[in-house]
Amino acid sequence: MNNELPPGLALQKVDERIMTLNVGPQHPGSGHMRIIVQIDGDFIVACDPDPGYVHRGEEKMAEYRNYITNIPHLERPVIHDSCNILYPYVLGVEELLGIEVPERAKYIRVIASELNRCVYTMYWLAIYGIFLGHSTMFMWPAGDRELLIDLLEKMTGARVTHAHFVPGGVRNDLPPNFEDVCLRQVNYFEKRIKEYAAIFYDNPILIARTANTGVLSRQDAIRLGTTGSVLRASGVDYDLRKKEPYDVYDELDVHSNVMKEGDSYARSKIPWLDMLESCNIIRQALQKMPKSGSVRVKLKPNPKGKGLDSVYKRVESGRGSLGCYIVSDGKPEPYRLKLSVGSFRNLIALPYLLKGEKLGNMPAVYWSLNYWPVEADR
Amino acid sequence: MNTATGIIKALNSGIKHLAIKRFTLRYPEEKLKFVGDGYQFDPSTGVGIAGQKGRHMLFHDHCTGCQLCSIACEGVAEAIAMVKVPEEYKHNKKAIMPQIDYGKCVFCGLCVDACPFYALYMTNDYELSSFSKEGLIYTPAQLQVKPFVSQDSEIKITNRGATHG
Repeated sequence: MNNELPPGLALQKVDERIMTLNVGPQHPGSGHMRIIVQIDGDFIVACDPDPGYVHRGEEKMAEYRNYITNIPHLERPVIHDSCNILYPYVLGVEELLGIEVPERAKYIRVIASELNRCVYTMYWLAIYGIFLGHSTMFMWPAGDRELLIDLLEKMTGARVTHAHFVPGGVRNDLPPNFEDVCLRQVNYFEKRIKEYAAIFYDNPILIARTANTGVLSRQDAIRLGTTGSVLRASGVDYDLRKKEPYDVYDELDVHSNVMKEGDSYARSKIPWLDMLESCNIIRQALQKMPKSGSVRVKLKPNPKGKGLDSVYKRVESGRGSLGCYIVSDGKPEPYRLKLSVGSFRNLIALPYLLKGEKLGNMPAVYWSLNYWPVEADR
Repeated sequence: MNTATGIIKALNSGIKHLAIKRFTLRYPEEKLKFVGDGYQFDPSTGVGIAGQKGRHMLFHDHCTGCQLCSIACEGVAEAIAMVKVPEEYKHNKKAIMPQIDYGKCVFCGLCVDACPFYALYMTNDYELSSFSKEGLIYTPAQLQVKPFVSQDSEIKITNRGATHG
């Protein structure tokens, strides 16, 4: 190699031990995103998550559609959790338009959003299981998820993208005899997910794999602004269903699950405990729900806001706090719509968690963040 | 709990499932049962009737050619086009009716919510695959036909677990 360089040109110094590795964006281990990791032997020395591969411009699209036609496309970022991503939008539009929602509709929304949270968490659990090499944990949640998808299909008419929530209530009333079917299937679902403890959560192999990997301390969790299961796994009791109850959550007895460890094991166990809690909430809501009554307020064909106004609403989704900021200028379309999603907030913790870990632990840490790439990119 | 007991417990909980009937639905042979005849909407109360959001059904004797379904679809999928029909009705002077492209439709059902004349409903028919793009475009005459959907399977829960049957 010729050592005489042209004047003004300097070569970057190459580190002999460090190698840069691209994980993704089409690698099944990372979802639709790229994680750039620098490794020294088997250890990760630096990590740079690179989201944006599936950016769709949902927020800009929302500025060209009216408050009703925004509904089908806004649920696309998380099709498994579509009721929860519509929830803050619908609550915000209701406040902008000054609509009072019927009591029965509020309970139906709570049931739909809790069922949807379980459907999302089961899908996530299946992925988490398969990336830790546990094939049974892929098959069981993917099968048992069918129980709840069947309920949502009876309720809303679609298996994944429901388009069920509208400003002013829900699209349709519950089908006849739904309460009994729902209670029976949710009870069986709860019995099934309790069986997961023996095969997955109490399994010494899983504990050896995930305990004490990627530890996020309580201070770091607060400082980095994480939400949802990541925050609660680090010992901070912050559940929006309890702290800022929306709709009828203040009438229901909600218990928020907290663990102190802050490692991958705790982060993967909190969503499972949340599913057990969701079953509890669904049973309470079915009991307290008014047996009849209206479920939707009749709106004008093209509802408009009342002049310059803005509103911010947030709910607890399967991945943490999910907020929606809407600015209205009195037209049928929103002037600006901003989605603040839990996935994107939790991603910032990844470089801190992976530093010093082995490369083989990357999927265990990365998927424990409950991260959904499509939602984070919007 | 020590490691050996934990692993044996985990294996045991899996082995128990060998004796249980499978839960999976054998799709082409068995088909799921739905509630009702599909998603419908009652414009007098402004509330829908629960049902599967599948292929649409158009009632020619109700449709006035008002284009509200087409306008509702504009911001969503632009799947509905208004086309000329040969029949002439007293209530449909322009003789236009919706034609739906299922290559674009997202099955949200907002067109059904928009119809004020009880003319457009959704049915349980979800098997719409076709060998060509043109085969996915349903003309008003095709939408008039009520589909036959076989429904035989439902989730059954017994003490020994859940099955489709």
